Amino acid sequence: MDDLGFILLSYLATFGGTAALVWQVLRRGRALARQLPDEDKPWI
Amino acid sequence: MVTTPAPTPPGAVAAAPAGTGTTFTRWLGALTLVAMAVLTLFGLVISPADQVQGDSVRILYVHVGTVWVAYLAFVVTAISSAAYLWRRTSSLTWDRIAGASAEIGVLFMAVTLLTGALWGRISWGTFWVWDARVTTTAFLFITYVGYLAVRGLGGSHQQRARRSAVVALLAVLEIPLVHFSVKLWRSVHQDASVAGRGDVTLDDTMLFTLLLGVVAFTMLYAWYVLHRQRVLAMEDAIDDKGLDLALAERRREATTTTPTGLVIGETH
Repeated sequence: MDDLGFILLSYLATFGGTAALVWQVLRRGRALARQLPDEDKPWI
Repeated sequence: MVTTPAPTPPGAVAAAPAGTGTTFTRWLGALTLVAMAVLTLFGLVISPADQVQGDSVRILYVHVGTVWVAYLAFVVTAISSAAYLWRRTSSLTWDRIAGASAEIGVLFMAVTLLTGALWGRISWGTFWVWDARVTTTAFLFITYVGYLAVRGLGGSHQQRARRSAVVALLAVLEIPLVHFSVKLWRSVHQDASVAGRGDVTLDDTMLFTLLLGVVAFTMLYAWYVLHRQRVLAMEDAIDDKGLDLALAERRREATTTTPTGLVIGETH
């Protein structure tokens, strides 16, 4: 495959950036949920 | 021997293990993961190389999907902002959806610029050209970084919502400029290959991979906005509770009773 490094880097950047954002929002959500009662979480 | 449980500190919640997930978002997250895995398989392995572009076409399967979601995210930010400003539907939920949507839009716009630069290095021989489409896209990215900065300024939730809604409604006007820049000015960036064309001559596997990328990133967008706006709601609730606690503390200080029974600071 030509230019394999550039192609792999584009996939790594896409999925790496996405995974970082997803991990950050899940971690923040769990940390905040511990500080609040259930009535402040209408989705539960 | 009887043991007494340790007292729960004021304001703390005894057991609240759940985060921002629901059954729906868990299913959506699982489906998104599967879609991303299939996209990677098709994008890197199964789909054929292009006759003209060669293997660099594989970058476009993530490039097109992410730019689509970035556009979608910024349009949703504008619609939610308008809904907040309109008196009949004014609710901070709209503001939080706008903020969550802009965040993932900015990430995907950054990914679009990066993958575009890598594709450009292969196809044009350079990472960057001051082309109309590329330059206006970078300008759009910077505008929405500014929007997020405006959201981070101080003030009440309502002040944050109002000023960022106005910025969002102005910023979204750039999207048509970016999209039609390849028609308005001479551009090295290619025109649309699928959307708005009746004569699509793309190989079936390539077309499937391209559309799969759009669907997979749209699912990821929906998952993220659902979770993130809940996180923003909890941040706002904690802010409000912190303010309530501070006010209660202030009132308690103001009504301190002396040992002689004299109440100081109360007015009747």
